[in-house]
Amino acid sequence: MGKNDSYEVFVEMERDGNGEMGAKIKKKKEKKKERMENMKKEIDIDDHQLSFEELEMKYTTSVTKGMTSTMAAQVLERDGCNELKPPKGTPEYIKFARQLAGGLQCLMWVAAVICFIAFGILMGQGNLTSYDDLYLAIVLIAVVVVTGCFGYYQEFKSTNIIASFKNLVPQQATVFRDGQKFNINANQLVVGDLVEVKGGDRVPADVRIVSAQSFKVDNSSLTGESEPQSRTPEFTHENPLETKNIAFFSTTCLEGVATGIIINTGDRTIIGRIASLASGVGNEKTPIAIEIEHFVDIIAGLAIFFGATFFCVAMTIGYRFLEAMIFFMAIVVAYVPEGLLATVTVCLSLTAKRLARKNCVVKNLEAVETLGSTSVICSDKTGTLTQNRMTVSHLWFDNHIHSADTTEDQSGQSFDQSSETWRALGRVAGLCNRAVFKPGQDAVPIPKRDVVGDASETALLKFTELAFGNIVDYRNRFKKVCELPFNSTNKFQLSVHELEDPLDLRYLLVMKGAPERILERCSTIMIKGQELPLDEQWKEAFQTAYMDLGGLGERVLGFCHLLLNEKEHPRGFGFDVDEMNFTTSGLCFAGLISMIDPPRASVPDAVMKCRTAGIRVIMVTGDHPITAKAIAANVGIITEGSETVEDIALRLRIPVEQVNKRDARACVVNGGQLKDMSSEELDDLLRNHPEMVFARTSPQQKLIIVESCQRLGSIVAVTGDGVNDSPALKKADIGIAMGISGSDAAKNAADMILLDDNFASIVTGVEQGRLIFDNLKKSIAYTLTKNIPELTPYLIYITVSVPLPLGCITILFIELATDIFPSVSLAYEKAESDIMNLKPRNPRKDRLVNESLAAYSYFQIGAIQSFAGFTDYFTCLAQEGWRPLLCVGLRSAWENAYNQEVQDSYGQEWTFAQRLYQEYTCYTVFFVSIEICQISDVLIRKTRRLSLFQQGFFRNKVLLSAIVFQLCLGTFLCYCPGMPNIFNFMPIRVQWWFIPVPYGILIFIYDEIRKLGVRRHPGSWWDKELYY
Amino acid sequence: MEQNSTAGGATEQYHGNYLSNPVVTAEPRREEEEEEEEEEEEDDDEMPAERKSKRSWGQVMKELKLFWWNPETHAFMGRSGKSWGLILLFYTIFYSFLAAMFTVCMYALLMTISPYTPTYRDRVVPPGVMISPRVGGFDIAFNASDPKTWAKYAETLNAFLTPYNDVEQERKNVACTPDVYFKQDDTEESAERKACQFKRSSLGNCSGIDDPSFGYAEGKPCILLKMNRIIGYLPGEGTPVTVSCEALKGDVDRFGTSEFHPYDFFNLMYYPYYGKLTHVNYTSPLVAIRFPQVTTETALTVQCKLNGKGIKSDSMQDRFLGRITFTLQIGA
Repeated sequence: MGKNDSYEVFVEMERDGNGEMGAKIKKKKEKKKERMENMKKEIDIDDHQLSFEELEMKYTTSVTKGMTSTMAAQVLERDGCNELKPPKGTPEYIKFARQLAGGLQCLMWVAAVICFIAFGILMGQGNLTSYDDLYLAIVLIAVVVVTGCFGYYQEFKSTNIIASFKNLVPQQATVFRDGQKFNINANQLVVGDLVEVKGGDRVPADVRIVSAQSFKVDNSSLTGESEPQSRTPEFTHENPLETKNIAFFSTTCLEGVATGIIINTGDRTIIGRIASLASGVGNEKTPIAIEIEHFVDIIAGLAIFFGATFFCVAMTIGYRFLEAMIFFMAIVVAYVPEGLLATVTVCLSLTAKRLARKNCVVKNLEAVETLGSTSVICSDKTGTLTQNRMTVSHLWFDNHIHSADTTEDQSGQSFDQSSETWRALGRVAGLCNRAVFKPGQDAVPIPKRDVVGDASETALLKFTELAFGNIVDYRNRFKKVCELPFNSTNKFQLSVHELEDPLDLRYLLVMKGAPERILERCSTIMIKGQELPLDEQWKEAFQTAYMDLGGLGERVLGFCHLLLNEKEHPRGFGFDVDEMNFTTSGLCFAGLISMIDPPRASVPDAVMKCRTAGIRVIMVTGDHPITAKAIAANVGIITEGSETVEDIALRLRIPVEQVNKRDARACVVNGGQLKDMSSEELDDLLRNHPEMVFARTSPQQKLIIVESCQRLGSIVAVTGDGVNDSPALKKADIGIAMGISGSDAAKNAADMILLDDNFASIVTGVEQGRLIFDNLKKSIAYTLTKNIPELTPYLIYITVSVPLPLGCITILFIELATDIFPSVSLAYEKAESDIMNLKPRNPRKDRLVNESLAAYSYFQIGAIQSFAGFTDYFTCLAQEGWRPLLCVGLRSAWENAYNQEVQDSYGQEWTFAQRLYQEYTCYTVFFVSIEICQISDVLIRKTRRLSLFQQGFFRNKVLLSAIVFQLCLGTFLCYCPGMPNIFNFMPIRVQWWFIPVPYGILIFIYDEIRKLGVRRHPGSWWDKELYY
Repeated sequence: MEQNSTAGGATEQYHGNYLSNPVVTAEPRREEEEEEEEEEEEDDDEMPAERKSKRSWGQVMKELKLFWWNPETHAFMGRSGKSWGLILLFYTIFYSFLAAMFTVCMYALLMTISPYTPTYRDRVVPPGVMISPRVGGFDIAFNASDPKTWAKYAETLNAFLTPYNDVEQERKNVACTPDVYFKQDDTEESAERKACQFKRSSLGNCSGIDDPSFGYAEGKPCILLKMNRIIGYLPGEGTPVTVSCEALKGDVDRFGTSEFHPYDFFNLMYYPYYGKLTHVNYTSPLVAIRFPQVTTETALTVQCKLNGKGIKSDSMQDRFLGRITFTLQIGA
């Protein structure tokens, strides 16, 4: 109730500041509210301003009897059920179909269709030599479908947002109709219904309170305020969200009972609007999705370009149409990195798993990388940056401000506790306190125990428990005689106790409350155990301390005590708190204790890390500007030495208007000011002040802030916990919900959930995100390389007419079997340098796949691999009797299924099947060459800049096992019986495994030279062209 | 506002321990962030276009045009002349090196390969079988009374048998001892090997000497069977490989017996083969097949296969390994 207000001295201060700033802004520009989209506008409801009569008129109802049933039925017909409608999404089959119709997928479909046609024609002609085309078509379709299912599953998991809102609808509600009380389904309620809500219920719709008895609601899911809010029939604020006479749909009633008229139902409720706002906010494409799309576009374009070129070449050379189509298909198969999507997905899910171990659960895989490219974090204050627990932070006694230990685990330094004054102050704090620990928590550390009592009393209880030990026992020693609980008129709380010493018959009066009220009642002050008269000097000292503590954004309480005169208050004196028949003035002032929700210990470090990583942390909170600023300064969001415009004005003693805005690094904006700003002004503000704190912001404003950051080209991460945050969470490039305090709606809208609600976990996430971007780059470079040795065989086959060196099925084996594990293993690679000292990547310049990466992979490493393959291919052919020069132009004879006597270089005659097996041997040999070169390739991809000797060969155990796996799988494919006729693998001679080895070594040496050049001459031509 | 200033002061005083980063580092950071801001401002107008992934065609074309030739930077496809020169030079050197390496590898390969004998004979053994005449596929279809329908077969056979002419054989080749392998391993590898005579005349009715139509005019066609040549291969391991034929499909009851010329086996003396470089005049031995009982108006699928040690004739994958299947369609 009013209790909080009275304790919060800063409320008044804030009002001053507010007025000044507000006036300034009004002077400067006119309101440009209409610029903002309708949905994002503050909710305009005027029902809270209406009198009961007007309400009754408006909704044809009665505040005592409720509506008539007939009227209710009519309204129900007009408005529909009181429930949140899930938005009409795209049908599931269309979503699935979309997954099957991506760029690469389309290419693969085309390839598969060509295969089918080729197979069909060959079968129709009756001269079927193998089922390769059929296999190929089936494998291609399988690849498309499997990756499609994968993608669909991912999408399905991440877009299921509205589901959680369904659970918000209460089952039953008590309603008055025709003057009688009914229990009906809450979804039958209509506007104008008179409903009754009592403790434990969920508010069934937006309700204008008509009558209430100590009615309190938990609005945390809507506004993020965790304190219980009282609701009364009085109209207290113009803003419907702030006024006390409206209770909102989906909030919970904590205690008391109330009746009220329903003013909004279903989707028209505040929560319904937020829900539709959340679903209306388009999901931004994640940066990695953009990257991959960009990359797929290029690949698809190149594949079609190459395919079409060679189709034309083949047609002009004189191949038949069908053959040319098969070439086209084969080139597409060779060029499309079929395994890439799987690799990327697996890499991302590995990182997601790693993050889960560090308390970040990633819902949307792509979010992992997004976190890495994040350049702005809009963070909540309560619970994320702070511990979400009032804690005693400072004490003022003996004319000194002492710092208390605010760390979560009580590992910090405490103050000197030897002073007498401290003992007195501690005694007051311990005795004048109604809070108690919930039973059965002996094993729980004190700061984590659950307490019955309000936030300040809890803080004091824990503080004294830590200082004195068993506070229950302590209180028992000082038997409580009477007590006056806090109320808003007195603004203090007092209790009278017997003394510990049974012989001392005096009573002890202890009092705490708003410091100025306490001071009024004091005539002495305790300094170092001595009671000194409270003169002007001490009063000034008190004022300074009070202001200092208030300026820290802390909640300050004053404490005083008095040993009552034995004569006036003998044993058995009938203390009557209503009559106040005892001395309550001339007390002895003991000191001030201030409390704050202290920052988490790990946060300042984390914020610091963000800074070094070039990430800007913006605080967006519903809290008071001064508290927000204090915490921001505390955790380093506002750095030491940074000033706001107001600070500068104060320092230079000039009016705020004269301050050059550019001089102020920091800026604290409150919701009121933000409301009057145009988007350009907000952009300007965000551009000019690197250190921003937004206080007193509403849910809609959070969304506006996020949009503004995005307009400035930032990748924005947003943290949030309430339902109100869900639009901002969705709009953000990456939404981060809090696992402990977060509502379901927030968790659903978010891409990531922090299980420990700790800001520091985000930093870990950023690090992992950056690492995965680097590693994906390596992984893609590895994956792309082999496309060239897969493609060149076709080019040579078509142009030089040699027997086909590499078959399509073999290519698919490379893409989808042997090379998957190594490319995934690169995800386990450690960072080359301290990635947290670099700026976030610029999403427009630092692409995942850039020109130099493609050029280096394709035209250099890929070229070496192709040469390796051809060397091995020609060796294998030559050793079996087909010399290289004979092979040129051999194609038509070689592939003639009727010619069973093709002569080799030695005059031996070969049947078609013998030649076919020889061709399979070539495939296998080429396959083995690619594998051997890829081993070298995966090793060089471990680093992009460092020498491999600096990075270490054996540190990535997964990569080593991947190489072993690759070799084993290769061996298995080659030597497993039955392979020749199923997958076109032949057992090859052992020496053919070693022919590509020199090329592998060449790859390794060449890359070391490249890296050496890149390291030695940064910025040189070499660096620009060859560093990817 | 006064409170604000005291707040700042108090923070320094009491919470200094939280800020591990004093003013010293705050300064350079400021510059960095200013740079960043400038960048942001520059990029500001590009951004909406980037975010809206859909661009108009005109824009795309404009961009493409600019990419093709940027008159401001004199860049062709994103590179200036000097840049192109350097990169082309680099790739020239790079590929020259690769080509050189490849050439060296090929050279080394050819050095290790004998010109006389292939290093391995993994795929070519056991031998396949081939027939003549083969025009297109393995279907022999003709009308006995219509020479036009079988002329091509006769021509093919005639051409095929030219190297077997007696004169030619007697001039080039020697008469060998039958029924033993004609091994000539005692000479050095490069020395020319002698080949055994296989005279056309030994084919009797199928030689085409007496009957230029090779029996096609009578509706009893000759088919020549040949075993594929394999260097060093000794078929039958001492016993000659024989040939047998059977009808698989069609008018099987009209098939009757088969007639072979000169014998129903491949004589051992024609083996081994030493390769085309040294065994220049080698002529593969033949077995001519006729089906005397076959009459006109017959459609048959015939399979002829080799029988002997080391011969494989039941491979599922290779239907021409040790056997051959062909169809006969003989019209009147």
